[in-house]
Amino acid sequence: MSLPNISDYHVPDNAEDAIALLKQYGDSAMIVAGGTFVHGLEVRGVLGDIEALIDIGRLGLDGIEFGADGLRLGATAVFAQLEAHAAIGDDPAFGAIVDALACPPTQIRNTGTVAGCLAASAPLYDLPAALLALDGAAEVLGDSGRRTIPLCDFFTGLFENALQPHEIITSISLPKLPPGTVSAFLKLETNANDLAIINVAVRFTLDGDACRDCRIIVGGGVGETYVRAAGAEAALEGAPAGDAGFEAAAAAVTNDIDPVTDHRGSREYRRHIAGIYTRRALDNALARFG
Amino acid sequence: MKKLIRLQVNGEAHELAVNPDETLLQVLRGQLDLIGPKKGCDSGGCGCCTVELDGKAIYACMKYAASADGGEITTAEGLSQDGELHVIQQAFVDAGAVQCGYCTCGMMMAARQLVDTVENPGEDEIRQAISGNLCRCTGYVNIVKAVQHAAATTDRDGE
Repeated sequence: MSLPNISDYHVPDNAEDAIALLKQYGDSAMIVAGGTFVHGLEVRGVLGDIEALIDIGRLGLDGIEFGADGLRLGATAVFAQLEAHAAIGDDPAFGAIVDALACPPTQIRNTGTVAGCLAASAPLYDLPAALLALDGAAEVLGDSGRRTIPLCDFFTGLFENALQPHEIITSISLPKLPPGTVSAFLKLETNANDLAIINVAVRFTLDGDACRDCRIIVGGGVGETYVRAAGAEAALEGAPAGDAGFEAAAAAVTNDIDPVTDHRGSREYRRHIAGIYTRRALDNALARFG
Repeated sequence: MKKLIRLQVNGEAHELAVNPDETLLQVLRGQLDLIGPKKGCDSGGCGCCTVELDGKAIYACMKYAASADGGEITTAEGLSQDGELHVIQQAFVDAGAVQCGYCTCGMMMAARQLVDTVENPGEDEIRQAISGNLCRCTGYVNIVKAVQHAAATTDRDGE
């Protein structure tokens, strides 16, 4: 526990200045978007080494674009903007995003940002699970230029990610998914403000009545980072959408995860619920089809 | 190093010197003597600090004031106009939705957008709107009734 020692709050108006500030401060600066996560760190006394906050809210990174190659979510777009965007709300493929965004309360939806939520790198958050299931990628800018980090490679540990020093996320890109793709997300929580005990994001494309390109992502208290439930995905791949295929996937999930026991629940409880929530999420996704 | 920021608060313009990590809650209470927003958990979990920033309900306790430079803020104090209670304030009084009162300002600010935009919100919709606000006294029942009543009695023709 340490007292905060923050002596400067910078609000650059272009990305190059933001990168330059990051370089100048090195480890003693932290990027702020909406501010909810950073403030949480500050009140928990873990920002003792941080001297400066660099606010990326005025870099014009808050747009949402939908085009032929997919969806691009600006880094500082807030959850409420995503919720209000027709390209997201009207497309059953993006159902998991809609579901994830319905979880936090109004005040968080008006403040939390896409990039902030991802950069926090906590498996307890909701939107990242949905973006993982939709094969999202982080578009990143740093002093050595731009690069793309697929989200499946982004999270490297609890509160750790693949961003290099002097890099910021500028947007999240989601590929255009084939017609017949549906997704859904479900979260088990004690109340609207709490973190996930377990959450599940699922996505598949209906090919005839078979499920293809299946993604099942489990978050919450499942360890250091989100888990891609490969066994459950394999059980679902090619199976007919409905009871048999979904039950097989739900049963397989319990072997894919190694949950923790903490004050929110035991590992056995989480393992049990993960299967149930996988089944329900798959049902919810299927209900979006057609 | 302090930052100079401009805020419009309840219709009044202010120029304020804020510490780099000072929150909107600290500025509103400490510099502007606005005690509608309250310090409960100070970590975005209880909602009693809720204010509107540029028309959207946020937690003032976790918004860095420096990031709100140029913004328009409404606190509970800004609800009444010319000595007349806002319809939502009157509804909270009439419905018996206030016990200790600690959550009340935050509740009203969280529900205000719903009241302004939806004439007959259902119970689920109301509970969603206030899901970020805790009340330890009332059990929420009369708060929900207050919001329903406020939405139903909001003058929409006059807008």
